[in-house]
Amino acid sequence: MAERKVTVESEVGLHARPAATFVQTATRAPVDVTVRKVGGDGRVASARSILSVLALDVRYGDTIVISAEGDGAEAVLDQLVEIVSVP
Amino acid sequence: MTTVLAPVDGAVVPLSAVPDPVFSQAMVGPGAAIDPPRRPGRALAPIAGRLVKLHPHAYVVVGGDGRGVLVHLGIDTVQLKGAGFELLATEGEMVRAGQPVVAWDPGMVEAGGRSPLCPVVALDATSGAVGPVAEGEVRAGDELFQWTETGPDRSRDV
Repeated sequence: MAERKVTVESEVGLHARPAATFVQTATRAPVDVTVRKVGGDGRVASARSILSVLALDVRYGDTIVISAEGDGAEAVLDQLVEIVSVP
Repeated sequence: MTTVLAPVDGAVVPLSAVPDPVFSQAMVGPGAAIDPPRRPGRALAPIAGRLVKLHPHAYVVVGGDGRGVLVHLGIDTVQLKGAGFELLATEGEMVRAGQPVVAWDPGMVEAGGRSPLCPVVALDATSGAVGPVAEGEVRAGDELFQWTETGPDRSRDV
């Protein structure tokens, strides 16, 4: 299981455009990707579902853990980290 | 099958006409947009269900079948930080289809230099999942489109 812990730097959090790009990138990946919010209610969301991602309510400055397993996991995690790291 | 209601009065326009790629490229799902009259009004719940997210400028209602519909009141209106919007419901509550959720003024949004177009999106649906869309003018509470088939299961939490 590959994992990245990252602080969300986008001003709107994981909503609107960053959320849409995040889900689109995860959907194109060859592996399942999950995301959860550190200090949240423990819910683990599929990164392929915009509804699940929006419902996590990740805001600017929150820390999230993105996880994936299998071939290509490292590459997609790197891409997703980059998306949420853009202010 | 889910019947999605128009949350506001106005002219139905395609999502492709919305000046934001999140919507115009259907990045969050298919649907339609409404160009509302420039006067104060109330935005309604498009389906019955739980109001899982409620921001002043946008909200999501999830029906009993797990389908979520996003209503976005104007473009880039997150920047207004709630100014000019009044919440008429509470996040997490169950709403009926057509229940007022937010009071706002599209005229004020436009006067501030932003588009007051309202995208209504079938979240996580495939492009073919949205059936016939209403044409021309609709009243808030009229049928806007049918959400027909279920796409690939992307809404599953793991």
